[in-house]
Amino acid sequence: MKELDPILHSQLRLAVMSILMNVEEADFVYLKEQTESTAGNLSVQIDKLSNAGYITVTKGFVGKKTRTTCQVTEQGRKAFEEYVEALKGYLNL
Amino acid sequence: MEEKKMTERESLELITSMIQRTRERYIGDGNILLMWGYLTVIVTALVWIMLVMTHNPAWNWLWFAIGIVGGIATPIMSRKSDLKSGVKSYSDKITSQIWTIVGLASVVATVFCFGFGLKGFNAWGMMFAIPLLIVPMAEMAQGIIVKERSLVVGGAIGLCVGLFTFCCIVGNARLLINWFLPLFMVAFACMMIIPGHVINHKARQQR
Repeated sequence: MKELDPILHSQLRLAVMSILMNVEEADFVYLKEQTESTAGNLSVQIDKLSNAGYITVTKGFVGKKTRTTCQVTEQGRKAFEEYVEALKGYLNL
Repeated sequence: MEEKKMTERESLELITSMIQRTRERYIGDGNILLMWGYLTVIVTALVWIMLVMTHNPAWNWLWFAIGIVGGIATPIMSRKSDLKSGVKSYSDKITSQIWTIVGLASVVATVFCFGFGLKGFNAWGMMFAIPLLIVPMAEMAQGIIVKERSLVVGGAIGLCVGLFTFCCIVGNARLLINWFLPLFMVAFACMMIIPGHVINHKARQQR
């Protein structure tokens, strides 16, 4: 049976990817609210997803505040789809 | 939520739960619709009153206030709304592109009218039919995408008025200000003001 992608098989990273798969883009505050995570932890997991090439992170400014926006990449989309397929295999769905 | 390993079943449940949350997201606001609706109705009322009182066609220049004020306010309000929600869905992207096309089509139509004017033809009557044909179609498309009935119904009413206006122009029936401008205002109230308030009411209930 195909091994589950270790980058995705983690609660917070999988939650972030599940959200991003359903939207065009989402900002850091939205992801933090939806995943009910801490800013520090979310930031670390976003970096891991970004380093794996699964998401792109854009940092901009709104007035004097920074705004971080995340968007899933084609590589991330493919990895997520493969992850779901592998899950189905494990669960015999 | 912490970073921890999960069973396969927990993974699937988490994915389902996150998909559900993005679906239950903030509906958005109807403020841009309200801005265009009130702006159009107020300017139309102003032009109507001034034309009736002064009989000076120069007051028709006021129509440009709709495009100028709306054109400046829309990107500002749209950006503010995006920042407030923190997320941009695929339907947001599609509807935004639809409205951009409507905006560009309106600019092109205005240029054509000016061009006809330079050649001695008065095509400005079409500027009543065009917004009542393009805007309702875009609005109905948006209503179907976001599943908002008030947009579909409002758009359908606007489209009926638009088709009627188009028939009047093609059939050389005169669009007299005393009946056409009130009809134009009613169409925009149905298309933009009522759906705008309905959407804002739903958004308030959702919060």
